[in-house]
Amino acid sequence: MPSPLLADTPGETLLLLGNEAIVRGAVEGGVGFVSCYPGTPSSEVPDTFFRLSSEGDYHFEYSTNEKVALEVGAGAAIAGLPALVTMKHVGVNVAADPLLTLAYITAPGGLVLLSADDPGCHSSQNEQDNRHYARLAGLPCFEPSTAQECKDMARDALHLATRTGQPVLLRTTTRVNHVRGPVRLGKLPQVKPSRPFSRDLQRFVPIPAHSRVQHVKLLDRLAAIRLEAEGSPWNKVSGSGGLGVIASGVSRCYLHDALIEEGLEGAVKVLELGFTYPLPDGLITNFVQGLEKLLILEELEPLVEEHVRALLQREGVSLTVLGKNGTLPCHGEYSTDMVRQALRHALGRQARTSDHCPPDMDLAVRPPNLCAGCSHRAAFYTVREVFGDDAVYSSDIGCYTLGLLPPLSAADFLLCMGASISAGSGFARASGKTTVAFIGDSTFFHSGITGLINAFHNKHDILTIILDNRTTAMTGHQPHPGVEHTSIGPNERIVEIEPLVRACGVEQVQTLSPFNHKAAKKALTEMKALPGTRVIIFRAPCVIHDRRVSGKGKPQTAVVSKTTEGCLDVLSALACPAFLKEGGQVRVDEELCSGCMFCPQLDKSFTAKKRGA
Amino acid sequence: MQRGRIFLTGVGGQGTLTATKLVSLTALDEGLPVVSGEIHGMAQRGGVVESTVLIGYLSPRITHGEADVVLGFELLETLRALCYLKPGGHVVANSEALPPLSVAVGKVPYPDLDEVRDKALSVASKVLFLPARTLAEQAGAAQSANTVLLGAACAAKALPFGMEALERSVRKYLKPTLTEVNLKALALGAKAAHG
Repeated sequence: MPSPLLADTPGETLLLLGNEAIVRGAVEGGVGFVSCYPGTPSSEVPDTFFRLSSEGDYHFEYSTNEKVALEVGAGAAIAGLPALVTMKHVGVNVAADPLLTLAYITAPGGLVLLSADDPGCHSSQNEQDNRHYARLAGLPCFEPSTAQECKDMARDALHLATRTGQPVLLRTTTRVNHVRGPVRLGKLPQVKPSRPFSRDLQRFVPIPAHSRVQHVKLLDRLAAIRLEAEGSPWNKVSGSGGLGVIASGVSRCYLHDALIEEGLEGAVKVLELGFTYPLPDGLITNFVQGLEKLLILEELEPLVEEHVRALLQREGVSLTVLGKNGTLPCHGEYSTDMVRQALRHALGRQARTSDHCPPDMDLAVRPPNLCAGCSHRAAFYTVREVFGDDAVYSSDIGCYTLGLLPPLSAADFLLCMGASISAGSGFARASGKTTVAFIGDSTFFHSGITGLINAFHNKHDILTIILDNRTTAMTGHQPHPGVEHTSIGPNERIVEIEPLVRACGVEQVQTLSPFNHKAAKKALTEMKALPGTRVIIFRAPCVIHDRRVSGKGKPQTAVVSKTTEGCLDVLSALACPAFLKEGGQVRVDEELCSGCMFCPQLDKSFTAKKRGA
Repeated sequence: MQRGRIFLTGVGGQGTLTATKLVSLTALDEGLPVVSGEIHGMAQRGGVVESTVLIGYLSPRITHGEADVVLGFELLETLRALCYLKPGGHVVANSEALPPLSVAVGKVPYPDLDEVRDKALSVASKVLFLPARTLAEQAGAAQSANTVLLGAACAAKALPFGMEALERSVRKYLKPTLTEVNLKALALGAKAAHG
């Protein structure tokens, strides 16, 4: 039986995650090619395509980074296949170079770029608003707000892209990617759209003489697409009254619920924008006729607001506009409560007060911690043992970023994917301090390797530690070029890291397991004494991924024979979640202990025993 | 429940998200307009897991003072989530603890049950604590503590459907090997609610 996501069962209703609904929508839209770099909150989209790849009629790949993903997808769409390329918001920065020129040369097969934004920084280093990219590149933009819309807009975005050749932005936010709601399925296409490539140098090869022409054509295409936005069912007016509200993205949900809670259903005139770029100027101009006040609801930047203000000025309409200038912030997420307050403010009603109990900030917290048996913990412990507080630690994006907290304290600064080696190089040269860069295996393939080539070429004095846990652990164990196993089988084409490092020119390279404490300490001590660009590859599989792939855990666990001073030191220096302290006695929770057997190497109060014995 | 908001909170590995999905699927099968939300990302094992189920709303988000029901799968997290409860709302929670690392290494105290109960009573109209993990072990598997809590919540009328609907979902959506244990877990939870 095929997966319900791929079955041709129109009319059936499934409870889907927003990201699963996007998969279904793309399939309904005739997608033939999917590429990605994983990243929360986008990851379930490619992971679902990957899981279903044996039964689906599409090509799928995890690419090495977002730029590569977009370029591969663009090539496929130039060749004529409808393509979906997925990434998180900061990934679009990586992919921005091909993106801006693809908008000139077009993708005749149709290309949709999913940008999963993260207002509130639930799992990201910033909360940039990627609706800017729609404007910067010239991409029509859809912003779903429910699981059903994720499905329907993914389909419609792909149709628009296929029809016009213009790449289309499907912009979601964390709440929408991770909403779960009913989705009524549509039909699957009987015939897949395909537009075989035909040579057209002026269109596809953007030398300056061609680009100047293509830019004008891009503007013409956008003008035509704006007319589609004017009549799109995704931009709709409802209700009536002196107060008008324009809402886009997930704010439409908050508005819907706030109107119910305030007893204002139908009593406010609402323009919902789902097809949000190019903005439908005619529709907006008509909408504001006769209004006394206009409230604009959009998370993050005031893009719709500023556009509407300029439009009102151009049309000679005098109207009070409320938005980011009033009570609503340019940061974080909106909520139903926030929209209720904004509506009350706009209507001159008193602000709501609530007598719910205040959050208790003094409670014990549960900061994200490296798992019991995580190879990164062993690596950080020994690095700190050798380098201590004198060295500066340049970190990168991955599980190992969690090493920032004491006692491991293994991150002093962090920029973005792949930056640890290059930013560390600059820091080392400017400060003259011993600098250690940490980078994961997937991140090294993503964009760390260029920093390493640069470090060698420019004679930077830096020790790079590649934390090779054989998977992309942070985002859900997606494969990358260096892995042995993926969730659906072995990787037949492995790219080894050490030869790659040597090929970059680096001569001081060692590969070893961080769980061998004595050897790791010796290697680090040797490298500490050397100048220049050096690399240690700490290689040990992610404990979670290993257990999942092999189907079994390790045969041993650690036990504490007697709580000694040394035992307490290990407890506070490792902060392993399997350790417990009860009434002054240290204990290892056998269920949580992964059996990495690192702690027995640090103090003899820890010993090994057979699991369950 | 024509409209309502349920806030679920627990610790990674407790089955909070499985329970959330089961409640949502049951609501959908009962023809209710359901939406549910969960935030992934930095929540590793042992981290806080918060999720929501809403009936009759579009937004999956619940902010402070909005939840009609708080379902707490862990005692400390129940205390932390009380700020989400609407005054007069309903708390159904596990009375048993899973201490975080800072407590485990002896640095920070852990609240006791009476303290959490008192605080809950100061804002809720109905409060029910039960030893979900112990009852789950009685049912046959500690992992069914999430189902014990759902059974109790359903019996205490904190969910938008009856026990029969929940039993149907356990049969329909859980692995066949887990059905019997989880049906027992539902029953033990319900019994604890009727006290």
